[in-house]
Amino acid sequence: MSQSILEVREMSKTYPGVQALKKVQLEVREGEVHALIGENGAGKSTLIKILAGVEHADEGSVFLFEGKPANIQKPIDATLKGISIIYQDLSLFPNLSVAENICKGRKSNKRGFGMVNWNEMRAVAKKTLAELGFDIDVDVPLERLSIAKQQLVAIARAIAFEAKLIIMDEPTSSLSSSEVELLYKVIEDLKRKNISILFISHKMEELFTVADRFTVLRDGEFVGTFKKQELNEDKLISLMVGRALEVVEREETVQGKEMLEIKGLSKKGNFKDIEFTLHQGEVVSITGLVGSGRTELAHAIFGLERYESGSITLDGEVLNIKSSEQAVKKGIAYVPESRQKEGLVLQQSIVKNISLSILKKLTNKFGSIQEQKELTLANKYISTLDIRPNIPFLNTGNMSGGNQQKVVIAKWLSTSPKVLIVDEPTNGIDIGAKREIHKLLRRLANQGMAILVISSDLSEVLAVSDRILVMRKGRIAGELPHHEANQEKIMNLAVLGTHLEEKLPVGSESKGAVNL
Amino acid sequence: MLKLSNLKLSKEWILVVVLAVLFIFMSIFAPGFTDSYNLTNMLFQIPELGILSLGMMAVIITAGIDLSITYLAALIGVIIATCLTSGMPIGLSIIIGVITALAGGLINGFFVAYIGVSPILVTLGTMTFFKGVVTLITKGNSISGFPEVYGAIGNNAILGIPLPLILFGAVALIAWYLLNKTVWGRNVYMTGNNPIATMFSGINTKRVLIYVYLFSALMAAVAAIIMTSRYNSAKVDLGSSYLMQSLAVAVLGGANISGGYGKVIGIVLATAIFQVLSSGLNLIGISSMIINILIGVVLLSVLMINFFSSKWESVGKQKTI
Amino acid sequence: MKKITQQKEFGIGLVVIILGVILTVMSPAFFTTGNILDILKANSVLGILAVGMTLVIITGGIDNSVAAMTAAVTVVISKLVVVMGSGTLSLLTVFVIAILVGACFGLINGILIAVTKIPPIVTSLGTMTIISGITLYISNGEYVNSSMLPAKFIAFADYKIGGVSILIFIFLITAIFTWFLLKYLTVGRDILSFGGNPTSAMRVGINTTKVQIFVYTYMGLLAGIAGIVQTAYNKGVDPNGFSGFELTVIAAVVLGGANIMGGSGSILGTLLGTLLLGIMQNGLILAKINTFWQEVFVGLIILIAVSYEVLKRKREEMKLSKVEIEV
Repeated sequence: MSQSILEVREMSKTYPGVQALKKVQLEVREGEVHALIGENGAGKSTLIKILAGVEHADEGSVFLFEGKPANIQKPIDATLKGISIIYQDLSLFPNLSVAENICKGRKSNKRGFGMVNWNEMRAVAKKTLAELGFDIDVDVPLERLSIAKQQLVAIARAIAFEAKLIIMDEPTSSLSSSEVELLYKVIEDLKRKNISILFISHKMEELFTVADRFTVLRDGEFVGTFKKQELNEDKLISLMVGRALEVVEREETVQGKEMLEIKGLSKKGNFKDIEFTLHQGEVVSITGLVGSGRTELAHAIFGLERYESGSITLDGEVLNIKSSEQAVKKGIAYVPESRQKEGLVLQQSIVKNISLSILKKLTNKFGSIQEQKELTLANKYISTLDIRPNIPFLNTGNMSGGNQQKVVIAKWLSTSPKVLIVDEPTNGIDIGAKREIHKLLRRLANQGMAILVISSDLSEVLAVSDRILVMRKGRIAGELPHHEANQEKIMNLAVLGTHLEEKLPVGSESKGAVNL
Repeated sequence: MLKLSNLKLSKEWILVVVLAVLFIFMSIFAPGFTDSYNLTNMLFQIPELGILSLGMMAVIITAGIDLSITYLAALIGVIIATCLTSGMPIGLSIIIGVITALAGGLINGFFVAYIGVSPILVTLGTMTFFKGVVTLITKGNSISGFPEVYGAIGNNAILGIPLPLILFGAVALIAWYLLNKTVWGRNVYMTGNNPIATMFSGINTKRVLIYVYLFSALMAAVAAIIMTSRYNSAKVDLGSSYLMQSLAVAVLGGANISGGYGKVIGIVLATAIFQVLSSGLNLIGISSMIINILIGVVLLSVLMINFFSSKWESVGKQKTI
Repeated sequence: MKKITQQKEFGIGLVVIILGVILTVMSPAFFTTGNILDILKANSVLGILAVGMTLVIITGGIDNSVAAMTAAVTVVISKLVVVMGSGTLSLLTVFVIAILVGACFGLINGILIAVTKIPPIVTSLGTMTIISGITLYISNGEYVNSSMLPAKFIAFADYKIGGVSILIFIFLITAIFTWFLLKYLTVGRDILSFGGNPTSAMRVGINTTKVQIFVYTYMGLLAGIAGIVQTAYNKGVDPNGFSGFELTVIAAVVLGGANIMGGSGSILGTLLGTLLLGIMQNGLILAKINTFWQEVFVGLIILIAVSYEVLKRKREEMKLSKVEIEV
């Protein structure tokens, strides 16, 4: 049995107001590929940040590397000790050459008088690339390489620093399938060199291809570590999601007339042949893996991006929308993916955020904003949506995620939209507020609104939708009515693109078990 | 409702205090500061800088900067001067000047909003361009000799109040109304804070930006009219010294260089502070060069105070959580 | 051949060459050694400052105080050369002091910007106002002409090596050294790294505060050198003569292809940008076109150059596919 290279025990991390990690454990052995998996917000990224030295764990956490306390203060400490991270955005320097990207931060790059030792750098880079069998010119600026090649450069960088543990965060998210094959080969090679890999990914198929063992996190807690042989995709999904599924009690809604009809919508490099309809009083969800084209589709419907072919019909009228301004006029509302960057003006008050989209209707005949009307409007939504704290002039930047999201929704409700699109409505929102938002969406549907939910959170999709559309690689892979849908079926469509034929028996796992 | 937090001085109240203290200080130490001659003189000088600063502030609220504002003013001034000296009626000359302003503002707005070039580069380019056009028109000379009636705009007073000051008051009121009461004004602040979220809320942020540059160009036009009238001449460096000053006034007046904040009242107060400072120090016998140094010191100090107070605030916040 | 066209400096280089060819055809006086040397000499100050500004812009900053710093140094020189006597050694001392004065100004900029995180554009505006105020106060705005400068200094100003003015040598040495610094010194690589990706720079252990302080100090140091060259070129000092020159400097760097948002910029590009501005001025004179046209052209060229860059970047982003669509 091989030795463990990394050992984490009792690791906790508390941010103001949130406990991101609760006594998590993780053990990675020499020469193994270890998958770290969990839903969004399960604590994976926090854990990686701690391993990388970007964040520090709470007191009492144990973090051993090669059997000794790791004592990592700064990111460069981690790299020099032998823990290399390949960030999702790669974190390289686009304007510098490949050689320099590989060697940046190495002591031996320097010679006397503050000079850079280019020969040494180029030699190290060449040697490392040759060792790995990558055919990349070391003198080319990084920005001229494809993302896949940049990824290889990042791997070469780790090897040049004699990494003993390489952490790969969603390494395949921007690779094509042939490039992914190449990455698998590289990982096999690294294993042979007795280098350990901690692999973070959402994609089931690749996890089962590369990983030896799996550690599952859920809601910041440790669920268990399992060997590959002990798992299958269904079991893994159920471990990630947990058994305790929240049930949103729902009344049967009365489906009204057809509100939105999408036909053959295509945009090169974004989505293809999208077709679906959305009725009044109906909640339809679009789900699928990250990068399957969901948000791009929403942007196209909302006029933020153009599409190349196909048609969008709203309430019987064929639309030709070129901007968000026109979309709002026609009665489309969009709660965007990033609440803080796209949804709210954080430096401004609740009132000003809520009234932003309908300000024109609140003016008198001199074009002057009627502040009393504005305040009344805000107060109406503060009370109906139970926005807290209920201080209309509070800056939205000082609110919790759930309440921020309610402000964004209030902004759109005030426009009385025909279609409400919500993109990842509960991302980074705690469970209580999440339920509230789910209830709110159902209530709005009951009142006759047509709602399109875009979400990768399966429990959410199941809780709120009447119908579920699953996207995969830019296309709609299939549709499930809510009474037939379950997480396994959705995942199957999202990952493999096929309907699950028969229900596989799923064994339940007790929390915290370590099956080795 | 009186809360303890409300007692904390806002940026604008600090300016009021600074202005009052400076005024009292100068009244005591600067000989002849409170003479009616000096006071009227100050009131004649405030408007040009104040009006240009209002234009600068509007652009700064959208996280931009307008380096072209003074040379656009010079261009407008020179165009009006050319019209006047060629015998055109005053009204028509001013209209042509305003059209020039709108064209200039449109060029700035187009490059910033539609092409997406950073404002500092656009206005650097247009500034050089406007300056070039002015030199072309004037051949480097100055144009002078306007009708007497035109000179009244910059030099006469009604009931003892200088006409330029009345114009400044009117312009400031209009600017206040536009920025605080209209949908456009609200969108200017929202765009300055977060252009993406504002655009995602269905606001045509490009149009908002175009109007901002048109607004600053119109401010340049008003300032140009006052300046040409007051000096009875127009040449390439008409008001060029106001470029850095208007930026300094805008920042001193509280405008946030990263966008989203800036108040008309702040600009009015900051302009007054500048005027009291420079004319008071002048009377004390301090050279105008020292006064320039002090302006720089004041600008940097305000920025540092803002920086440290916001840092201190955020530290305080973290502790309470 | 493909490699040359891929170079970022290719576009501006082509413009310079085309302009040169046109001028050569239009005026036989253009492509003569004398004229070329005149262009270089007349633009040495611009070139030296633009080289320094390139580093500043690579870090995503800007320095509005360059012209003020240079003017301040010229005044310092004019005061010192009169006091210090006329030996070679004392002249050298004056030069060293001049450079140090410039570096000190830069250091102040650097500390303010790196430590307080106030946007460089306003910080340097503030220091610009202060420095030019002090300059005018000390000099009283008075012009110093060649008769007031010691003979030794005039001799230095006229000194030629192989028929080429020493001022051109100073300019070229500055440019070559800065190029060397960017390419072969750790600090140069750190500057590029910081400009390319500040977060990653921190992650690989670069002290980003030091990098910023260095860049502005170096800018100040070059302003010191530029002050010497300017005094020698004019054989006199005009404390007021430099206002607004910072914008020409920025224009030269931007024309040379540096990205105002940081990350990219090259000494070669900046030299070409400087040359373009210089040739254009020279060409307008030779072509007997009214020099008043020059700023109109420069303004238009800046607008076109930066718009082209932005549009090119936008088009590249549009082409990027976000989702791999299964066929």
